[in-house]
Amino acid sequence: MNWRGILFLGGRYLAGNRAKTVLLVLAFTLVWLLPAAIALVVGKVEEKLRARASETPLVLGHAGSALELTFNALYFSKPEIATISAKEADAVSATDLADAIPVYSRFSAGGKRIVGTTIDYFFFREFSYEDGRTLIRPGECVVGSAVAAENGIAVGDAIISSPETLFDLAGVYPLKMTVCGVLEPSGSPDDHAIFVDLKTSWIIEGLGHGHQAAEQTDEEKRLVTDAGEEGVIRLNASIEEFNEINADNIDSFHFHGEMGDNPVTAVIVIPRGAKEQALLKGRFESSTTRQLITPSEEMDELFATVFSVQRIVLWLLVAVGVATLMIGAMVFLLSNRLRREEFRHLRHLGASAGTLRGLIVFEGVFVVIASLLCATLGLVAIAALAPFVIERMIG
Amino acid sequence: MILCEKLRFSYPGDGFELRVDRFQVETGSSVALVGPSGCGKTTLLNLIAGICSPDSGTVQVGDTELECLSEKVRQAFRLKTIGMVPQNFELLDYLTVSENLLVPFRISGDGRVPDGAGERVSELLERAGIANHRDKFPSRISQGERQRVAMCRGLISAPPVILADEPTGNLDPENQEKIVALLLEEASRIGATVLMITHEPELKRHFDRVIDVLELRGEALE
Repeated sequence: MNWRGILFLGGRYLAGNRAKTVLLVLAFTLVWLLPAAIALVVGKVEEKLRARASETPLVLGHAGSALELTFNALYFSKPEIATISAKEADAVSATDLADAIPVYSRFSAGGKRIVGTTIDYFFFREFSYEDGRTLIRPGECVVGSAVAAENGIAVGDAIISSPETLFDLAGVYPLKMTVCGVLEPSGSPDDHAIFVDLKTSWIIEGLGHGHQAAEQTDEEKRLVTDAGEEGVIRLNASIEEFNEINADNIDSFHFHGEMGDNPVTAVIVIPRGAKEQALLKGRFESSTTRQLITPSEEMDELFATVFSVQRIVLWLLVAVGVATLMIGAMVFLLSNRLRREEFRHLRHLGASAGTLRGLIVFEGVFVVIASLLCATLGLVAIAALAPFVIERMIG
Repeated sequence: MILCEKLRFSYPGDGFELRVDRFQVETGSSVALVGPSGCGKTTLLNLIAGICSPDSGTVQVGDTELECLSEKVRQAFRLKTIGMVPQNFELLDYLTVSENLLVPFRISGDGRVPDGAGERVSELLERAGIANHRDKFPSRISQGERQRVAMCRGLISAPPVILADEPTGNLDPENQEKIVALLLEEASRIGATVLMITHEPELKRHFDRVIDVLELRGEALE
């Protein structure tokens, strides 16, 4: 076989028909790449989600979508889920069957989730600090490594919470928080979160607030100018509320109503053992208003659905791929029909049947090998980029 | 010398039959093959080139009887001995002019271009007056220039036999004269035998002999 001649003439033919060659290579590349890329990305997402889920034994929350509760407690998404009261975390702790860590993952600042929790969460996730320290008082925040890196935030800087609705004057108003610590990267959703004390998140919600002392206010800020017999001064809406908690005004911040009634979106429950876990699950099994879920089981369900959808998508891709390969084969056949005169003349010039067959096969083999190479490179690139993209998408 | 004796050839399923009792062309001479379309001119060239095999009879080119050669050896023989100049140029449009000239080397043996082939390309293109087109693609040059390229390709290996199948059919009279003159001049330079099919009466005067294929078949009198 005259490989040298076949390679030269075949190569020159492909170079002379660049557009056709590139289109065929691209089409074939997609045939190989798409199913492999989907399987790769789904695998990486699964790995990432399952890792977080397996680290979190149980989550307590309001009855409803177990998956939304899982995503809120573990990945700080789905902020709109129904809440339960903070005292329910205390109730779980009081059973001595488990430790309970409340999580209030509802508000955000600059697109990053503000997670209200207790210091126990920091120990549970084994946080370590790149700079600064843990939360000591309301109004402070600890930021994840990605929040700090993306926004150029350092200890001592301030973060202002985003108003939930611009026109809701009575609702959430921006609170200026001081950064007291920056976490080390963990490759988890914690990198993308802003952690605050539960009280801080309730202040953001408007359940607690700080303002001038009533006794020091001017009369025009009072509804009743006289303190009256009960000594109660009622203030009107013109009173200035503090939008920052600092050493000077921290004592003026207060909550109206029971603290235990304030909301949390989820409670992370860490049972003392398997028996305690079973007992706790049993207690909430019949509840119609609460659910105690095992995140890893929710992930099993989620991925069972994902994989069944993936199977359908893969079959569709196989069908599209077969159609593409058939069209490619048709292009080769038509191309060879157009080149029939060329081959006839090469035969007349003295080319052997083997050389002519080699020329015909060369184009197909080149396209298949080139597309496989491109698909492999694409897959390597996707494998390298996937962790960053997935981290951006799900934390 | 080219010698055909008791040659019989027919295409399967076709009424056409070529019968040539004896046809001889001396070494170094030039012969114009004439005759109406379909009379077997191209078939005769194909038989001499070994592209087709006769049903019976012999074709001898030089000292070699083609019937004695296997298909593979016949191809090698054709590459070495015969220069083909087709009517429709048959240039590969994805190769440059100079690359087209080297195609006979690329498709034969191990595909290696022999030493000195580059110089031969330059020499032929220079003589054909198209040296300035050596790096152009065939689509970028005129019909007459393309035919010159095809002719140069037929001459690249300095073959002892040149078979030209109406190489002037697509050209204007001026270019016809130039191509034939160039072909015969080059053939004379390398001492090659030339058989050329033509329909142009004006061109016959350039050749040593003019043979009507119908007469060769003994049908002209009928």
